Amino acid sequence: MNIVKVKEIVINALNNLLTEMPTEQGCEINESTLLLAEGSIIDSLTLVSLIVDIETTFNTDYNIEISLSDDRAMMRDISPFLSVSTLVDYIYELISEK
Amino acid sequence: MYLKKTILITGSSRGIGFEVAYYFLKNNAIVIGLSKGDSTIDNANYYHYSIDLSKPEKIIDLFKEITKHFKKIDIVINNAAVLTSQYSMILPLKNAIDMVNVNLLAVFLISRESAKLMRKNSYGRIINISSMAASLEPAGDSLYAACKAGINSLANVMAKEFSTLNITCNTLAITAFESDMLKQHSSTAQVKIKEIIKNLPIPRIAEKDDILNVIDFFSSERSSYITAQIIYLGGIN
Repeated sequence: MNIVKVKEIVINALNNLLTEMPTEQGCEINESTLLLAEGSIIDSLTLVSLIVDIETTFNTDYNIEISLSDDRAMMRDISPFLSVSTLVDYIYELISEK
Repeated sequence: MYLKKTILITGSSRGIGFEVAYYFLKNNAIVIGLSKGDSTIDNANYYHYSIDLSKPEKIIDLFKEITKHFKKIDIVINNAAVLTSQYSMILPLKNAIDMVNVNLLAVFLISRESAKLMRKNSYGRIINISSMAASLEPAGDSLYAACKAGINSLANVMAKEFSTLNITCNTLAITAFESDMLKQHSSTAQVKIKEIIKNLPIPRIAEKDDILNVIDFFSSERSSYITAQIIYLGGIN
């Protein structure tokens, strides 16, 4: 799987979540969209849902098992969950190792 | 009443779990039953999985299968429990580990993995079966009481985490119910239990309908505003 596809999966997952949040509809999502930082469009519980959705999509639709919330992710100097871009990079790193 | 609802029940082969599973099947639900042993229910809408809930990895693996096969879960009844009544200083380690794994960790994992499925339909009811031990804290049941108190808190915290997903989490704490688990107690312990029951506001052991009544209430679609609640039977508070 290439990084463009990973980005598509992440952005789709985020867009699906945002449709469930009326106040955030119409918000444009791109690589620089912040996830876990000041100015983020989502709160921490919504981030949890995003993580679950992405893991489930990879597992169910692509038969790729990834864990985004283990120690490896938590111990990084720069959190993978900072933005769409950092998350995409991290996921691509994980699946490239498989 | 439960037509088209998919309900997962742990400890479904006997006791409370069996009665609850049978009740839901009678009311047209699809029931996924988990227990250590083989199925004791013969019904076209009943799907049994034999699993040792003391092994967390088995639970994770099982949910991969459940997710593929069933696509959704509407209601979870975390009923399975193991009990070794023994004073703390002489409680064997293996029994202690099994109690924590089955009575607390398995409840956490099953609730968590079920919630992942429930959130897809923005609907869910998680009901933990707890015990009067969590409130009365009887000597000889330190770890059992701690685990049951633990699942009380677990439901309350999960209620907060899952509220935006329209998943409610509640707890039914049972006094005593005529079951194998009750018979497991030593004769001394059974005398103590009888004494406790005698001093309850309603001095009798729980009957099947007492339990099903509360489960119906927590499970109901009308109970979407009921979450993080613990109902103790018999008048314990």
